[in-house]
Amino acid sequence: MVLVQALVSGILIGGVYALIGIGLTIIFGVMRVINFAHGELMMIGMYLTYFLFTLLHVDPFVSVLITIPIMFAFGAFLQKTVINRILGSLPQNQILLTIGLGLIMSNTVMLAFTSDYKILTTSYSSSSLHIAGISVSQPLAVSFAITVAITAALYWFLMKTDTGQAIRATAQDREAAQLMGINVRRMSILAFGIGASLAGTAGALISPTYYVFPQVGSAFTLKAFVITVLGGMGSVVGATLGGIIIGVVESVGAVTISSDWKDVLVFAIFLVVLLVKPSGLMGKSRM
Amino acid sequence: MAILEIHHVSKFFGGLAANSDVSFSVEEGTIMGLIGPNGAGKTTLFNCITGYYPPSKGEVVFDGRKMNGLDPDAVCRLGMVRTWQKVRPLTNLSVLDNVMVGALCRTHSLKTARRVAMDQLHVVRLAEKAGMLAGALPIGERKRLEVARALATKPKLLLLDEVMGGLNPAESEEIIRLILDIRIEGLTQMVIEHDMKAIMRLSDRIVVLNSGEKLAEGNPHEIVGNPQVIEAYLGPEQ
Amino acid sequence: MKSRAASAAGTVLLLAALAVLVAFPAFVSNPYALHIMILLFLATGQGEAWNIIGGYTGQYSVGHAAYFGAGAYGTLVLLQKWNIAPWYGAWAGVAVALLLSLLIGTICFRLRGPYFVLASIAVAEIVRLTVLNVPSVTNGAEGVLISDLPPFTIGGWVVTDFSTKVPFYYIALALAIVTVLATWAVQNSKLGYYFQAIREDQDAAHSLGISLNFYKNAALLISAFFTALAGVFYALYVRFIDPTTVLPLDLSVQIVLIAIIGGIGTIYGPMIGALVLIPLSEVLRSNVIADLLIKSGLVGVDSGLGIFLKGRLAQAHVLIYGILVVVVILFMPQGVLGFVRKLASRKEQG
Repeated sequence: MVLVQALVSGILIGGVYALIGIGLTIIFGVMRVINFAHGELMMIGMYLTYFLFTLLHVDPFVSVLITIPIMFAFGAFLQKTVINRILGSLPQNQILLTIGLGLIMSNTVMLAFTSDYKILTTSYSSSSLHIAGISVSQPLAVSFAITVAITAALYWFLMKTDTGQAIRATAQDREAAQLMGINVRRMSILAFGIGASLAGTAGALISPTYYVFPQVGSAFTLKAFVITVLGGMGSVVGATLGGIIIGVVESVGAVTISSDWKDVLVFAIFLVVLLVKPSGLMGKSRM
Repeated sequence: MAILEIHHVSKFFGGLAANSDVSFSVEEGTIMGLIGPNGAGKTTLFNCITGYYPPSKGEVVFDGRKMNGLDPDAVCRLGMVRTWQKVRPLTNLSVLDNVMVGALCRTHSLKTARRVAMDQLHVVRLAEKAGMLAGALPIGERKRLEVARALATKPKLLLLDEVMGGLNPAESEEIIRLILDIRIEGLTQMVIEHDMKAIMRLSDRIVVLNSGEKLAEGNPHEIVGNPQVIEAYLGPEQ
Repeated sequence: MKSRAASAAGTVLLLAALAVLVAFPAFVSNPYALHIMILLFLATGQGEAWNIIGGYTGQYSVGHAAYFGAGAYGTLVLLQKWNIAPWYGAWAGVAVALLLSLLIGTICFRLRGPYFVLASIAVAEIVRLTVLNVPSVTNGAEGVLISDLPPFTIGGWVVTDFSTKVPFYYIALALAIVTVLATWAVQNSKLGYYFQAIREDQDAAHSLGISLNFYKNAALLISAFFTALAGVFYALYVRFIDPTTVLPLDLSVQIVLIAIIGGIGTIYGPMIGALVLIPLSEVLRSNVIADLLIKSGLVGVDSGLGIFLKGRLAQAHVLIYGILVVVVILFMPQGVLGFVRKLASRKEQG
């Protein structure tokens, strides 16, 4: 029973992880840039949600509607002004640049709001639903439902719309896409915008159940790598799967081994995947 | 005496055979030409011989020693060195340093390596550019730099992968002279080349690959007169 | 001839700088000034050590905190739990770091480019979490605190009892010099040539008889050795370590930045990086700017800005690392050293 319980909450939290992973994987797919500031984008989403809630009394789950466009604009801005300048340079330099951007984001937030932990307490923060003997945290369940809706919308966008197909074509082969007349620059801006808004959304969704503080991002950046590498860099399906897997590994690991070692377990799995199948579970098919 | 023997070498990628059942041997002191249309498996065979890919089947015997399973660095230390179809200069190092890296295969002393490297730069007529960054050389000189770097490892067998690719006639002529000069020193060479005229001039023997298989083997005369070769390789050009 | 004169002038300049550094504590006794110098030497050592694997060999490890932490923890844990003098315990810490580097090398060097970077981070995180999770050995999140260092004696003669910062100053200086000399020795040997060949093109290096595995591991081993020594020094100097000070990802990033900002793959790069980074980050950390502004009367103590500067700016000294790395990568990808050289050559031509 405990295991089933852990499995269920693992899948629920895995949905949020999947959002973070999908954002990272789309950015990587389109631009071949590994975004080390991804967790910081999520952190900014958390702060947005926190202030929308405390100052304007916007429910965290409703605030997603505001967070998504703001984060999209922020991501597009970053791509246009900074990331775009280093697309052709060494991968190491790209990594360091995004690390630098992450440091700027987290420390600016710290400068503005101190490093104090903030807690966003809603009326339902600690309430849970009981279904067939399993208790499910209500905010987690709601956030999972939103995650599913967003992921479905994203799939529809990528598969069915012209812009979505152009993004996928760019991810498959940037040069060929350019030859076919796709505006690759615009696709990159779109991709970073989408990636940032997904990260921000994930931040909004976990803020009712998580501490909000400036350094919260780096742990999630690492988690996002694990998820995307596990699923296969550039694969959206892979990232979705990877997010769920990592969520389940964490929560089942916490119950069966210990909650102290669950992160070690996640990194160990990461290393094994890197060594055994660096292309990941869905490595062949991009996006 | 054969310095290199290739026995029934096959290389599969997934289900595709890039080389299948290729056998031939290279006599010491000669130049072996390796030709074939694009995708015939020439570079794959080079990669199998020099340790970049393990052959799926068959054996590579060099200097009386079985080479299967050895890494490229071990292959080089045993005396077999290759150049690259797409040149790979160490761009941020000087021309001299590039060749010294090769020379250090046989010595720990920088002084000795520097001397050997300068000698090789004279051989390929690049000595006056020793101090330049390798990345600043034009393509023809990069190709010669790569030959010098390979020669500096003191090989018994030099494998040249399209050293004339992308060169103008004057640059190609320079490389041909270089290969013939090296031959006079007694060094065995195996040459992949697209330029038929050049390969006929250079080679003592020629192996023709087609779709991964050996189509023909013989001296340049025999190869030019071989109807199968004409059909598979020379045919489309005429 | 000109270059020989220039290099002679360079040598003279270098010796003069060294003489100034050696004499420094005789003229300056301000502990804070000594502290800054010590941090400068420490950062130089860290940067030079990383430079061997990252700058010369081109393997961007973003997990060097693991070796730094291993040196620090090895030394202090042995001292605190078993009362083993640090001059012996240090070598245990270094040995742990070396073993760790071999393990990491074996796992990670099969990967290239960004995958290697990610793997190096993952391993360092595993080390940090492990230290956090075995409190019986490491005290976990509480960290290890040492109240006093045993005096350093040779045959009954007390060389120093570590009551001032001066002995630490000289140890740190010696450490920095040894690391620089080691880098110089590497650069002027077969190792240096092979490391750089691997950085430039792994496949080409492989074809020229260079065992990638052996030489990458050799570079990491040397790099880990000096990084661990820096960690040992840090632990003894500060006398308090915990996973968030000697093992975090931030530290790994800072170590990389020292080299990147100065200019990788050069001997002077990390020194310049340390010279740029340490004073800047210390100025922010220590509230010097805030104090100056307040004292000069430009900003009132009780004004919103004054409170903001005093209270917040010190927390955000890492901000400067972020801004610097973005500026350097965007505008001077060869580091400060490369940038200055470029300017100089442009001036010469113009």
